[in-house]
Amino acid sequence: MKISRLLIAPVAVLAVGLSACGSDSDGTVDANTLIGLQREDSLQVGDVSLPDETTGATGTFTTKAADGELLMVYFGYLNCPDLCPTTLADLKMAKKRIGAAADVVDIAFITVDPERDTGDKMNKYLSSFSDRFHALRTTDINELKVAEDKFLAVSRVIKNDDGSIDVEHTASAYIVDSNGVVIDEWPFGIGSDGMEHDLWILLKGLK
Amino acid sequence: MKKAFALAAVSAIFALGACSDDGTSNTTITAAEITTTAAAEAATATNAWARTSPMSAEMGAAYFDITSPVDDALVKASVDMSVAMMAQIHETTMKDDGTMGMQEVDEVALPAGETVSLKPGGYHVMLMNLKAPLETGSTVTLTLTLKSGATLTVDAEVRESTGM
Repeated sequence: MKISRLLIAPVAVLAVGLSACGSDSDGTVDANTLIGLQREDSLQVGDVSLPDETTGATGTFTTKAADGELLMVYFGYLNCPDLCPTTLADLKMAKKRIGAAADVVDIAFITVDPERDTGDKMNKYLSSFSDRFHALRTTDINELKVAEDKFLAVSRVIKNDDGSIDVEHTASAYIVDSNGVVIDEWPFGIGSDGMEHDLWILLKGLK
Repeated sequence: MKKAFALAAVSAIFALGACSDDGTSNTTITAAEITTTAAAEAATATNAWARTSPMSAEMGAAYFDITSPVDDALVKASVDMSVAMMAQIHETTMKDDGTMGMQEVDEVALPAGETVSLKPGGYHVMLMNLKAPLETGSTVTLTLTLKSGATLTVDAEVRESTGM
């Protein structure tokens, strides 16, 4: 089933979220229905290319999955103690529970704080969550904004007078297929259970 | 479009947040029982944990459930300087455009007898400028100060995620 209007998505999410707690009396849990969001007009991100600073990589990486794979794209930053590591740890746990079948889930982490997040730091950071990832970083803010627009994502780095830095960013994770289409969007809070649920469905559809 | 998306995300947090509350009901009940039998003596903090910090991360976060027998508020958290330069109580919130950010908060209200959870996506103790990565299996001791002046210490277990 495809959720056709974004506005009804919260209802669907709520229903699934509550049913997951064990009350399945109304039978709304559908093992074939994604918990994440699908848009009527799917986001096309297959032409987004950003400098790839992953160790050993050269040139740019395009945000679409390899054939027969899935790619999770996340806009975040390394000094993020709450949302970013929660999302990456949840994915790690979901993949671990699924097992070898989830090896085809790749990660592209796009830093929204390129001034502080060097490629070297990004590699160290991401390697603690996955053995396969792409550390994407551009210091050209316009290039970052163009990429964000394709995902309808937004970010801001705010430098305060006291020297502290606040970063605000869209905290959704995007699942992209090999055609460069966002086929599932995970709002923050979906958790490892929700990710695992959706990945099982999406992995089944890969053939 | 973006507004709808923000609403969706909030719903997801709400739905899953409610779910995880259910999932941890055993421990929550235990905490409440302890508070009750302790008969208005002191606040208690349970289920404390801190996330493993990747090698290059300078910031960490710690979470716990806290219950006060009387109306009070959590106003300060601190850690030993050997762990981090500073600890602050932060709240992750969503803006109108769907972006999420963190702010330091002055206090977290603790209504009498109510268990307040600091958890991912909500309140957390931010450990700033970590001296060394937080390693799985180790412990971070947090000292919490309440508005009433009471203090309590809680040992946060370092692990990868919320738990099962």
